[in-house]
This record gives sequence, C-alpha cells and structure tokens, in this order.
Amino acid sequence: MEKTTVCILDDEAIVGDRLKPELEDDGYDVEVFTDSASALARVNETCFDIFITDLKMEGIDGMGFLERVKEKCPDSEVIVITGYATMETARESLIKGAYDFIAKPFRIGEIRAAVKKAKKKARRRHQA
Amino acid sequence: MFSFGTARAALKSLFTRGKENQVPFSDLFVWFQDILKKNNAAMELIADMGGKMGGEFIFDKKYLSDSVKQLEELVRGSAYDLNYITDNQYLELYGVIEELAKNLGIELSGKLVIHGAKRIYDLSEIEDGMEDLVGYKTYNLSRILHLSGVHVPESFAVTVGGFRDYMAYNNLFEKIENTIEECRNERRSVESVSNSIRLMILGGEIPPELRRQILAAAERISHGTPGSCSFAVRSSGVGEDGDLSFAGLHDSFLDVPFNEVLSNYKKVLASLYNQASLEYRLRMNILSLEMAMPVLYQKMIPGHVSGVLFTLDPNRPERSESLLSGSRGLGEVVVEGKEGVETFRISRSTPYTILEQQVQATPHVPVPSEKDLAQEAAGGSNAESCLTWKEVSAIMDAGQILERYFKRPLDVEWSIDEGGQLWILQARQIHVPRQRRMQHTELKGATKGHRVLFKDQGMIAYRGIGAGPVWIAEDGQDLNNFPRGGVLVSHYAPPRLAKVIPRAGAIITDLGAVTGHMATVAREFRVPTIVGTDVATQLLAAGQEVTVDTERNVVYEGLIQELIRHQLLDAPSFEMTREFQLLRRLLKKIAPLSLTDPDDPGFVPKGCQTFHDVMRFVHEKAFRALVQAGKDSRSFLRRGGKRLKSHLPLDLVLIDIGGGLAEDVDKGIYVDPDQITSIPMKAIWQGLSSPDSWNTEPIPVDLKGLMSSLTRTQSAEVLGNAVPSVNLAVLGSNYVNLSLPLGYHFTAVDAAIGSSPENNTISFRFVGGVTDITRRSRRAILLATILEKAGFKIKMNGDLVIARAINLSEALMMDQLLLIGKLIGFARQLDVLLKNDEDVDYYVQKFWDQAEKPVARS
Repeated sequence: MEKTTVCILDDEAIVGDRLKPELEDDGYDVEVFTDSASALARVNETCFDIFITDLKMEGIDGMGFLERVKEKCPDSEVIVITGYATMETARESLIKGAYDFIAKPFRIGEIRAAVKKAKKKARRRHQA
Repeated sequence: MFSFGTARAALKSLFTRGKENQVPFSDLFVWFQDILKKNNAAMELIADMGGKMGGEFIFDKKYLSDSVKQLEELVRGSAYDLNYITDNQYLELYGVIEELAKNLGIELSGKLVIHGAKRIYDLSEIEDGMEDLVGYKTYNLSRILHLSGVHVPESFAVTVGGFRDYMAYNNLFEKIENTIEECRNERRSVESVSNSIRLMILGGEIPPELRRQILAAAERISHGTPGSCSFAVRSSGVGEDGDLSFAGLHDSFLDVPFNEVLSNYKKVLASLYNQASLEYRLRMNILSLEMAMPVLYQKMIPGHVSGVLFTLDPNRPERSESLLSGSRGLGEVVVEGKEGVETFRISRSTPYTILEQQVQATPHVPVPSEKDLAQEAAGGSNAESCLTWKEVSAIMDAGQILERYFKRPLDVEWSIDEGGQLWILQARQIHVPRQRRMQHTELKGATKGHRVLFKDQGMIAYRGIGAGPVWIAEDGQDLNNFPRGGVLVSHYAPPRLAKVIPRAGAIITDLGAVTGHMATVAREFRVPTIVGTDVATQLLAAGQEVTVDTERNVVYEGLIQELIRHQLLDAPSFEMTREFQLLRRLLKKIAPLSLTDPDDPGFVPKGCQTFHDVMRFVHEKAFRALVQAGKDSRSFLRRGGKRLKSHLPLDLVLIDIGGGLAEDVDKGIYVDPDQITSIPMKAIWQGLSSPDSWNTEPIPVDLKGLMSSLTRTQSAEVLGNAVPSVNLAVLGSNYVNLSLPLGYHFTAVDAAIGSSPENNTISFRFVGGVTDITRRSRRAILLATILEKAGFKIKMNGDLVIARAINLSEALMMDQLLLIGKLIGFARQLDVLLKNDEDVDYYVQKFWDQAEKPVARS
C-alpha cells in the first residue's frame, strides 16, 4: 500500500523539524516547507494526502494557502496550527474547509491523533 | 463576607486618620486580592513554561516571547499594586524588574549574555548556552558535574574572550589572516603556513591581566599548593564535538607543572593552527570560519590506570557492545595509540560480560595484587591486566550514566587514581556513521512480541526511552540500594526520591503533575518520565524488567534493545533545538526561587534574581501591609474581622477577602468553624481541631507559669516586627494566610488550593521557641522530619523550618494541610519536652501514631 503523504508548512523551522521524524515513525511520507511560495510550487506538482499549515506567515498566509490547496486538491485534508488561536480564525478556517484546528503549542500526541483521523477520512473519501 | 458597601466611608475615615497617603483598609483587601490573582497567573505561566521542557510539546519562539511578555506585565502590575498600598515603599522594585526584563529580552534576541568581561570560569560557574564561550569539551564536563556517581577533576576554562585578548594584545589577527590568505591562494604549502602561524603565536605574550587570572585560578584549584600539583591543559575548541569533528586535531598537554601553566596556554592556542587542523579546514571549506580556542585547565589526576571508553562500538553499533581501552599511567598511551594498551570488547547489558580482550605487551610489568582481575572474568587468558573486573564495571557504569544524560554514544576519557577513584576527564559524542533511520515497520517489529503492560496512562514529563529493572519506592527504604539504570516506580513523588533520579533509567508515578518537583528534577537529569498513571504501582512488580517508551507513552515487558538503540543513534534530540535551549535559559532567569525566608537580610528588592523572586517578594510585603494595618485583635474586629468560636485556647481572628466565610455570617463578631468556606482553611482547621492534635502532654511543674503564656501572643520584639500581633487568618475561597504568633514561636502557613494543580502551593514556616537554641533546633528537626516524610520540600536553618509543596492535586494538597493543622497543635510546646536527641524520634513516632493517615495519599 502507498504511504500516506503529509506536507508541513510553517515559517518557524522548529515545527517541521520536530514533526517530520515523529510522523515518519508513524509511517508517513513527510515533506517540510518554511515558506508558502515553495510549498505552493510543490502543490502544483502533487497533491499531498494531508497538509499541516501555520496561519500567520510572510507572503501568502495560511488562510490563503488553505484556499489554494482546497481548490487544487479537494480530496486532501488540511490541519491548521496557529499561535494566534481565536474563535474567529478557527471558524474561518473550518468554513474554508480545514479538517482540524490546533492551537500552538501543542502536544505531539495531539497532532499525531489529528493526522491519523485525517488519514482515515481521506481514505474513506478515496474509497467512496 | 466583608462588605464594601456603606461601611466603607466610615471605615475609611476611621483608619486614615492623619495619614493622607495611607490606603483605606477596605481597599487593601481589594488590592491584595488583585496581587494574589496576578501571583497565581504568573505561577501558572511559569509552570506552563516548565512543562514544555519535557519534549512532549512542540512550541515556537512566538510562544516563548508571548509568555515572557505576559509575565512581565504581571510582574510589573503587581509591583505597582504593592507600591500603591505601601505608599511607594518599594520603588526600587521597578529597576530590578526592568533589569530582569532586559536580560530576558537579550536572550530572546538571540545574543549570548556574557557576564562582564570574565575570562576565566570555574567548571561549576558555567551555565546553559555557554558552549561557544568555553568550548564544547569544557561545556560537556560542566554539564555532568551534578551527576551522582560521576567525578570530574577540579577545572577551569579560559574563554574565547581570553583567546581574543591574546591575539589582540600581540596584533596577531591581521598577521594570521594574511598568512592564511597565502595558503588559500596555494602560494605556500599548508605545512609552511602552519609553522609560521604557530611560531607567531608561541612568540606572543599573554596580556598581564589574563596572566594574573590564569595563575590565580591554577592556584585556586591546587588549593594553595601549586608546587606539588600538576595540570592537564587541554584544547576546548569551539565546534569540537559539534557538527564538525576536530577531535584530536588540537593539542592537549598532560602533567604540566605550575611554572609551565602559561607557556602551555600558548602551546594549546598554537595548535589551533597546526597542519592537521588547517588541512581539515581546507578540506571542509571552512578556512575562513572564525577560529577561536578556549582552553581547559584540569587538576591532574595521578593516574594509576587511564584510558578511553567508547560506550558503543561505532563500527558495529547494532551489536550493543562497548570498547574499553586502558593502560597504566596518565593516558597518553591510549590516546596516542602507543603500545601497552589493553582493549576490551564488553557487552553493554549488566552484568557486563567481557567478550574479547587484547593485551599487548606492556612496557611495565607490575604483578597484580588483586585476585579478581579482569582476565579472570573473561576466562583467565592473560597474565597481567591493567584493570580489575571491579574497575571495568565502574567505568562501564559511569559510561552508561553519561550516555543516559547525553542520549548519544560517547567517547569518554577516564582515569583511575591510586586510591581507586574513577575520574572522568572528558566526554564527547561519537560520530557513529549516519545510518538509515529505523523505518516505521522496523520500529513496530522491534516491539512485537513484547507484552504491553500499559499504555496512554498519565502525562509525559520527559520524552525518551529507558529500560531496566522496576524498583518500587516505599517508605523507609535505603535509597542507596537503588539499582543504576533502574526504573523508579512510585505512588506519589516525595522530594526524598530526588536523590535517586540521576541514577534512574526511567520514572513512572501513580500521582503527580508534569509541573511538580519530581518532574522538574527528572527533566534536569533527562530521565524519561511519566507521571499520574494511576496504575503503575499496581501493574508493575519489583525487579521486573521493563522498557519505558515515553515518546509513545507505552510500558513494555522486557528490555527492547532495538528501541534503546534507536533512541541512542537516530532519535532526534529535541534538546538540541534552539527553541528548547532558549526556553531553558529563559526559565533559569524566571523560575528559581531564592527568596524563601522573609526574615533573611537578603529579602529585599535587590535580592530578587528571578521573576519568581519578585512575585514572592510582592506577595509577602503586600500581606504584611495587610496584617500590620491592625494593632490588636480589636482593631481587626472593628474592621470586619471575625473571631472564631472554638474549644481550643486559641484567639483566632479571621479576615475574609472574598469567599472565605459563608454568606450567612451575621454582623456579630463571632463565626463558627463550619462557616469557614475557604477550602485550604477548612483543611487546616480540621487538622488543628481534631482530637489529640492539640497537645495536652503534662508539662513539668516548674515550667507551668511559663506555659500559661503560651497560647497568648508574643510581642513583636521577640519575633521581628513583621509578625502580626494577633493570631490571624486571611481567607479567600481558595486561599489562606495563617499567622500564629503562639507563645515564643511563630507559625505561618500560606496556601492556595484549587482544581488546577499549577496554582496549588503550600508554604509553611516555623521559627522560635521558649527554650535554648538546642531544644528549639530539636523541634525544628522534628517538624522537618515529619514534613519531609509527608512529601514537603524542606529548608532548615537553626530553629527555622520552611516547608513547601507545589502543584499537587487538590485532594493531595488538602491532605497536606490537614497534616499541617495536626502538626501545629502537636508541636506547639514540644521544644520544652525535647530534652535530648532521642526524644525527637519518640515524638516523631508519636505523631504518626496519632495521625491516622500518616502519609498524604488520596
């Protein structure tokens, strides 16, 4: 079976640096980006199964990234992570199609569980 | 509840007589409450930051700067509150806070805070994040100083600053740069460039001030007898042990006499430019990288045997074997690979087994006197080994302690002196050839067949993998029997267990929080830890071998070598991330509490070294402002205080700052104990008023007169002017501050208890007594013994006892307060009865006999 692919986008390198090996240990194929432009360039080449994106970034921010991803890869699931968590941003990102919304800082277990659920959902969608 | 209604104006006029600037008494309550709130919020923030040290959270720099900003606001705000209610008595605090905030700002900006122009650091003075200042070799040694079972020779380092001073004083920077340029342009050979630069350095002069400081430090570590002492002078290069390996490229000199300490400094500096080092730099294309050379001076250990241990054979990492080389003498032989070296291949799991041993012909042939020689253990193949089995075992033990700490395979240089003491001379990471990361399926395969004892129980206090035999903590155990690398399993987390944490392979508790004391110590020593599992002591059996994976929160039966190796070789270390190191440095400037005794002369604004200190200071002074606003019980009663009805001979006045007393309390001056709604006060009162608590032991006749005064309060002259003149309890719904100037001693309890453990704290303070200092000290020992057993962290000084408990669950905190209540009554006049040291044990036992539930367990 093909490995589930995950794309992590956060301008703070620490997030990708720490999440990548954790998710790899769980059996995912992970790519990490620290700027939205290069992440988008990659999205134009391939749709990842799951995206994890920060909200506040230089250039195209997480909300914009979320919209583009949903446009280009409607079957992918997007998990939004942010240090500026408010009800407002949570609602907005869920309306725009985010699968989950997680406030920073977060437990590694928390995001692993979210990714696992997103994977199941993506898989069901594929089967449907 | 205290009413701020119509009585307010009247009260105001009553208590502000002639004092224009004094805050009305009723307002004091409101301000005090505000200070308490800020204090709680700050403590919660600090605990939250501490909880992030365990590796379980992913946080970024924004989290750190936001947390620091919030803390600063709280600290500034509470300093303002305090100054408002004390008529600006503590204006100095603002400067102190700004200085602390400035230092935190510098940390956040990423600049290294270098304290003054210090050029020399003793090993013990080196702090987190100073690796670029003192070099990795020195830095690593300074990190392991506190590990029990590890001995490091007395040492000091000359910093990068010392190196720069030397270069600048001799105008060498430019000269060297020009010469290197010739090397880069290939106009001259590396050898010739290296020779000229080294000659330049060796021909220089050490700046007089640096010279003086090096000599003074060398004298200091030789304890005034520099003539009979010799030194190891070692390169401690920046970048060594980091990503680039300069290991062995720079020189170290052993057995250097005092009068050559300075010339050897120059020799080590010169080795920065030796041929091998320049070639390496050329090859790695880092020739232009700034070069710097901190130098480590170690007091020489008269080595009887010395050598090197590779905790894991880098060529065959999959085999879980260590390589140990040793030879008689100071260790040059092994390091330089000369003849006379013995090499052992040893299995890493205990009891260590020598799998292979090669003994080359040694230059000296002393006859071993001990019978248990290493080769006997290995099968008795050879005649003279430099190491006994015991020594091999001790070196292996030390190697494993260090490896557990650094979480990486290590190259450890060691020496054993003539008395048989093992010393660690240096420890650095081995660069094991980067292997393919263990794949997901392999990780799963590794744990297959190992029964899961339990999973997803409790919270992770520190991430990692540890394995060993289970050791279940019980009262009265000899902690010295704790097995090295054992898995410490405990129902709760009493501070006494802190002693074994450095030796533990992993820790699991039934109760406790990630912000608790045990979790904090576990993080300090990097021991994988799960707290609050509820089930550990029931599901694990003493002696059972287990593997604790706190990355996945699973406890497996048996030792899973693959998992342990995975952690050692390729698990990414969160501690190496910049954010983590920054958090650690920030916390050092925020979290430690050094102001614990309000009567200490150092309890002043200038004495505040951290934000925690500032909050503690403000809280104490605000409280005192509150209690000193009344002269006697009547003055408090007039201001809305209530007298507690009780069968005890204790005149206690209660002041409610909000939610501390039932709302149906009438206007009279008396309240019943059952009208107390303050959660912590209820617990204390329950203990204080329980049968047998109030000591009724017959008191010798000749002292009766004296005793009669004991429930009366004592004047301020005896106890210091900060003590209230009445027995006073300030109550909030989740808060109590109880001051009992009973007899000639003074008891204070300050406690905040609620449903979130981060805010929960108890501080108990007891000082004084009617008898001589010896008997008073006995009572202090008695209190400390009981409180320590009950799980408090203790500080003692003469007849002063300070006990603290923090971050336990509400139920546990209530148990602790109940016990304190019982203890206050019990110990009230005990100093008179403690005629000799044996009496202490008798009364400790008597207390536990009386207390139904001796140790607080929920």
